[in-house]
Amino acid sequence: MPLLTLATFLPILGGLVLMALPDRSARVAHGLSIGVTAVTFLITLVIWSRGIVAGGFAQVEEVAWIPAIGAAYRLGLDGLSLPLVLLTSLLFLASAIYSARIGERAASYVVLMLMLETASLGTFMALDGLLFYVFFEVSLVGMYFMIAGWGYEERQRAALMFFLYTLLGSLPLLLAIIGLYLSSGSFDMRAWIDAPPLTGIAAMLALIAMLFTFAVKIPAFPVHTWLPAAHVQAPTAGSVILAGVMLKFGTYGLVRFALQMTPQAFAQAGQVILAFGVISALYGAFAALAQSDLKKMIAYTSVNHMGYVVIGVAVAALSLDPGIRTIALDGATLQMVSHGLVTGALFFLVGMLQDRAHSREMSDFGGLLGRVPWLGWAFILSAFASLGLPGLAHFPAEFQIFLATLNAAPWAIVAILAIVVTAGLYLRAIAAVFLGPVNEKWAAMPDLDRREKLAVVPLLILTILVGVAPGWLIDMIHTTMASLSF
Amino acid sequence: MARDLAFLFPELLLGATAMLMIVAEMARAARLVLAIGMAGLLAATLLTLPMLDADTTVFGGTYRIDLIAGWAKLILLPGTGVALIMARAELAGQAREGSVYALITLVTLGALMLAGGGDMMLLVLGVVLTGLGSFALVAFPRDDAATEAAMKYLVFGAVTGSVMIYGLSFWFGGAGSTLFSELGALEGKPLIAMIGLVAVIVGLGYKAALVPFHFWAPDAYDGAPVSIAAYLSVITKAAAFLAFAQVLRDLPPATGWPLVLALISAATMTYGYLAALVQTNLVRLIAYSSVAQSGYFLMGVVALGVSPLAVPGIILFAAAYVAMNLGAFAIVMIAGRELDDMTGFGRKRPIAGAAMVIFLLSLTGIPPLFGFVGKVYLFAAAVEAGFLWLVVIGILNSVLALGVYLRIVVPMYRAAEDKPELPLPHLLAAVLGVTSAITIIMAAFAGVFPG
Repeated sequence: MPLLTLATFLPILGGLVLMALPDRSARVAHGLSIGVTAVTFLITLVIWSRGIVAGGFAQVEEVAWIPAIGAAYRLGLDGLSLPLVLLTSLLFLASAIYSARIGERAASYVVLMLMLETASLGTFMALDGLLFYVFFEVSLVGMYFMIAGWGYEERQRAALMFFLYTLLGSLPLLLAIIGLYLSSGSFDMRAWIDAPPLTGIAAMLALIAMLFTFAVKIPAFPVHTWLPAAHVQAPTAGSVILAGVMLKFGTYGLVRFALQMTPQAFAQAGQVILAFGVISALYGAFAALAQSDLKKMIAYTSVNHMGYVVIGVAVAALSLDPGIRTIALDGATLQMVSHGLVTGALFFLVGMLQDRAHSREMSDFGGLLGRVPWLGWAFILSAFASLGLPGLAHFPAEFQIFLATLNAAPWAIVAILAIVVTAGLYLRAIAAVFLGPVNEKWAAMPDLDRREKLAVVPLLILTILVGVAPGWLIDMIHTTMASLSF
Repeated sequence: MARDLAFLFPELLLGATAMLMIVAEMARAARLVLAIGMAGLLAATLLTLPMLDADTTVFGGTYRIDLIAGWAKLILLPGTGVALIMARAELAGQAREGSVYALITLVTLGALMLAGGGDMMLLVLGVVLTGLGSFALVAFPRDDAATEAAMKYLVFGAVTGSVMIYGLSFWFGGAGSTLFSELGALEGKPLIAMIGLVAVIVGLGYKAALVPFHFWAPDAYDGAPVSIAAYLSVITKAAAFLAFAQVLRDLPPATGWPLVLALISAATMTYGYLAALVQTNLVRLIAYSSVAQSGYFLMGVVALGVSPLAVPGIILFAAAYVAMNLGAFAIVMIAGRELDDMTGFGRKRPIAGAAMVIFLLSLTGIPPLFGFVGKVYLFAAAVEAGFLWLVVIGILNSVLALGVYLRIVVPMYRAAEDKPELPLPHLLAAVLGVTSAITIIMAAFAGVFPG
């Protein structure tokens, strides 16, 4: 059974079915959306159970597409993509459950969401350069319409900025892909990884093009400016997908393309990339500290967390010791998953708060913990996870990244300062919103209902599970990373 | 002789169809004219299929039966059929309606001659045949705007056509033959090669609406009926690029023509999108966007002879461009000629709105739509030919393109004023169905195109 293809295209197929249905009411649309994303999630679990192999891609599915130029429909998995695939299908399921309250043009919303899921899964599983680019770009279109159609006050401007910015960002990647194709005669990513076709100055140019693309997507300082605007204006599920899944396109591409396809150039540029990672981590933390809008604050902590991933990948390229490389890449990959779980939960919770209060300003709240204990404790747990508390999801990831950094490029350890800043800003947010004097305005605020718990609680459980016993996840990642040759 | 005629059967059939259409128009039987035209186009398309793999010439090398000519028929003939249906939807019931169909068919015959010509005489014939019919088509409404547009078009065409013929006479003198395949004899005669080249660029560049020979395009499209604008913007333009391909692949590259065309390509796409950015008239906006698309076409021409992707790229992009641009013009026929007419369009007509979004995204070059595949081929061809800078400009212009097209998309989903909506005309619904289906699914089947 071509399960990878099935998982990738089931969502969009569900969307097409919905468009063809005579009854496209909100009930039907959301029912179908939850059903389809749930089945997709189950399929990805089966894919997981079929396992991966060391030193290459598993479960490869291949069909001819444009034989004349060596482009084919190729999907496959390894220890880098499988965790992200699982994360993607989980977050889309949670988003579908959360979104069930949306009544305005629900059918179109669901179709866009399902299209986004197809694009996201395809991006992580594609093993063909052209196919990867196709999925990568389709996600932009879906997210544009999602922000423009269902966002908040300034959505048109934010959506336009997001689309133009990220399109400009992704086109250099097309150039790099064309360069790789012309020097190898094929679009097969496996061939590009096994024998990097570019060398010397061409490889460096391709690397710069790819770094630009992925830095915009990650987003790394100084091309992160689209992120706060897009996040603040996006609907809640849009923010969750944007932060939880789509930012990973950038870090995934950083490893899959930049590191694996132009390894020598990457090592040469390693210190520069590392510096950008360090600056992103520090800048993201300090910028988040300056925010009073909860959503914007979480958006900036994404810049910070993704900065650690960049540090991890750069350290892996710089280090000569294979053991340290593996630790760095294990940590970077785990950090991607942890960030998806934790930030996904945080955006859900802020969205739920906004649904109730129509505000995201910290100063508007106060003492909510007694009023809405579920929401409050869930937020506190996620915030502690986000600041890197041991026993929660980010700790094992960041620990490995910093361990490798200390070994290979000790100066970059200054990034650890960012953890202190993040701790400060989360404690401040918790104190302002959930502790302190009770704001009587919110005396009637209801706590999480069943649907909301269903969306958020699985993420919280996984946050703890990954923090306490990350072995099952790290083993999966490690299988691939330990056999990576570059 | 019989062999030669057999290879020309689609063209001959199309010519006969046009004659029959004119006869039927004399009887004022517009529906019959249309029926004859559609049948002739269909038959000619089917007749092309068996000889798609042929690579030969007929009549002493003057007419080429090759990849370009074959695919030109497969793309231009169905495209003309779609344009005929659009014209019927717009002009049904008007006086002289049938003559429009007959003229369109004749112009397409000229377009096929451009795409298959292997000889300077045939090139001139193609330019004249496509030109004469087009002038009359633009002037069809008989009002001031149309007359002015047609006059501009005619004067421009007359001047550029004369320049082209003048320049071709240099090539004839230098090479000693009117055959393009003999152009290699110009090696070592750079001045003669250059004069002829400039003339061809002027003559075909006018047909293709390249900067700086594009001035007629927005006026002509705006003055003409929308369906005629749609037709002119795709069929004669695509034919012009296929003619470029036929002429230039035999010209020694040492004359420096790739660089000249690369500069024109960069200027065309940049100017086209910048001008489109400030239009408030939807037809003119799409007209300028069509000018910009010419710049992308030209990237494939630039790489001719160097990159094996150049010819497939031009063919593929031509197919995509014909489908998506016809579709976009069909939407203009439904919505209206002003940009303001698009306000709320996507909410009032969700399916037509979605189709428009698809056409515009495809024109931008967003995957997985057909236009994207065409652009990948063209970009790869240009990189392989050493024009990385041109591809970078093309890429930057894609972002500009998105800005242009979002000017249409954004108001489409604003709240609409309450106006009673007429149901979508069946003919236009069919046009939208065909063009959007091609735009969406052909990317997945791009493997059927030549590599």
